[in-house]
Amino acid sequence: MNKVLDTPQTFNGDTLKTRIDRVFSRAIALPLLLALLLLAVLLGDTLYRSVSVQVVRPDEGPAKTYAFGLSTRDILYQELLARDYTEDEVKLSLEDPTERRVLMLQNRVELMWNTHEGPFRYVVRGLRDDRVADFSLLQGLRRWDELKANLKPGEQLILNPWIDQSFLTRPPSRSPLVAGIGTALWGTVWVLGLSLLLAIPVGVGTAILLEEYLREGRISRILEVNLRNLAGVPSIVYGLLGLTLFVRALNLGPTILPAAMTLALLAIPVVVVTTREALRAVPDSMRQAAYALGATRRQVVFRIVVPSALPGMVTGVILSAARLIGEAAPLLLVGAAAYVPFLPSGPLSEYTVIPVQIYLWISQNQPEFARVAAAGIIVLLMVLSVLYMLALYFRNRFRREW
Amino acid sequence: MLEMLVDHETVCTDPVPASEAAAEVQNLNLYYGAKQALFHINTRFAAKKVTAIIGPSGCGKSTLLRSLNRMNDLVPGVRVENKVLYEGVNIYDPQIDPVTVRRHIGMVFQKPNPFPKTIFENVAFGLRLMGTKGSELEDRVVEALKRAALWNEVADRFKNEIGLRLSGGQQQRLCIARAIAVEPPLLLMDEPTSALDPIATQAIEDLILELKNRYTVVIVTHNMQQAARISDRTLFMHLGILVEEGPTSLIFTKPQHPYTEAYITGRFG
Repeated sequence: MNKVLDTPQTFNGDTLKTRIDRVFSRAIALPLLLALLLLAVLLGDTLYRSVSVQVVRPDEGPAKTYAFGLSTRDILYQELLARDYTEDEVKLSLEDPTERRVLMLQNRVELMWNTHEGPFRYVVRGLRDDRVADFSLLQGLRRWDELKANLKPGEQLILNPWIDQSFLTRPPSRSPLVAGIGTALWGTVWVLGLSLLLAIPVGVGTAILLEEYLREGRISRILEVNLRNLAGVPSIVYGLLGLTLFVRALNLGPTILPAAMTLALLAIPVVVVTTREALRAVPDSMRQAAYALGATRRQVVFRIVVPSALPGMVTGVILSAARLIGEAAPLLLVGAAAYVPFLPSGPLSEYTVIPVQIYLWISQNQPEFARVAAAGIIVLLMVLSVLYMLALYFRNRFRREW
Repeated sequence: MLEMLVDHETVCTDPVPASEAAAEVQNLNLYYGAKQALFHINTRFAAKKVTAIIGPSGCGKSTLLRSLNRMNDLVPGVRVENKVLYEGVNIYDPQIDPVTVRRHIGMVFQKPNPFPKTIFENVAFGLRLMGTKGSELEDRVVEALKRAALWNEVADRFKNEIGLRLSGGQQQRLCIARAIAVEPPLLLMDEPTSALDPIATQAIEDLILELKNRYTVVIVTHNMQQAARISDRTLFMHLGILVEEGPTSLIFTKPQHPYTEAYITGRFG
């Protein structure tokens, strides 16, 4: 009877195995934790660097505020009149597009939630170009009182969060205080949108062809091997290809279209692989059921298999888009320009993208540009997280239990 | 004992006359690559009757069933010799499109396999393929759901509920509704209850007896009690050979062939 009570003994025999298991699982978890920790440190550092304490010498403070809802043009018109320009001069300079752009760059219209004339009004600020000193957050806060006491007349001590209300819309500038990520953000939207427009039909089409029409056979195997190889090619090689083929041979110049084509080439293997996974996850019993009802192959593929695989395909496409957003190397080769003051107007206009812009900011020698770059990295990370959350949403919302 | 089946002539008691047959298999041979899976099958399936095909695993019952609507064509490397006649036409004639064949002959599978769409869209799929639209489509979907005894359970939600959310038994009845919505004269069922619990099985069996009035049903089953309960004729297969066929009552009470007797009394299989 006591034998029954001996069972712990038999379990004891297994403790060694359990212990090995535990050691192994820890050995795997440790690098993972380290990596997560490192990521957290990096993110924290970026966030920390994106805020600083600065001594600035601003222009004359905003004398006038403008009602919420006015257009930038109207505000500038009134502002310039208030600065003793004649009505004709103002009209002329605002009608000339070049001059209007220069005026808009020199005079930032900002929405303020709290002004001396009431909440939510516009003010016009000039360039706060005359920086005096920049301190890291800790240092700045520690020396706040000292700095405040030593301010010269006309100077101002501010806590500057570099991502402020207009960072997302401002164009880049030689002055870090007014540099923004607006054109890069729009450039990214253009390049990404166009490249997905090119990559999705080709990639999804290839995947459907390989998975549903050429399941077995030599062509399928050859294509498969080549696709896997292409997915492993460093992205700068694609940049070289884009430079020779699209920029030079097709003579498209350093514009959005060749960049989008290069990124599309980069995305196609990834889209094909993820779409094939999604198609393969559709159980064969679905296809059988559709065939048994008298569907042709085309009807089975496009009415049953593709709709069933759609959530997986969307997830794959979003993940490859997230990868494309971070690509800087190939775009440096196909002409993401250093300084693009105006929003791209079409597929054949000059452009820059967020990672290239960040790279350029980091390579500037003014220390303040490191802060602008940190702010840019945060914007990039936010865009990426939005995309990943979309992917997660699609994965969970349409999860299938077959 | 195996040599007993070499050049075996099917023991056929009370054969179905050609005039009452919905489908006829003539000397059918089927090969998967080099391996022969069916040997010289000769039989007729009586119209508006339930015919059960029984036999041990791997004996070719499902293969025979699938060769009746050319589902085997989807398996790579399959080769079929000789004829299957359906309404007097050889469905393996090179001029016949397998898609047309499958529109006339419905099929229900072992595991319920509704599409990841609403109940309505599931049933409507076959009808849409045939070009049915609008209110006629809706009427025929409702009709099929009623005939598959599913209507009462899903009447309030059949347009919104995803077919995959139903219980296993309901899913299988949905698959039956989907198959019969296009009014196929011949309905093939490949172990339709093997994945279901006894209560759901009971519901499906009642349904099959109901369907017999309108359709010819051929059902493959592992379960001999089920064959005895619902079928009018039974075919016993072994190793790709149709060993014996006859009225169910006779097969289960007075089997002629020693193999049939051994299988029915549970000595192998």
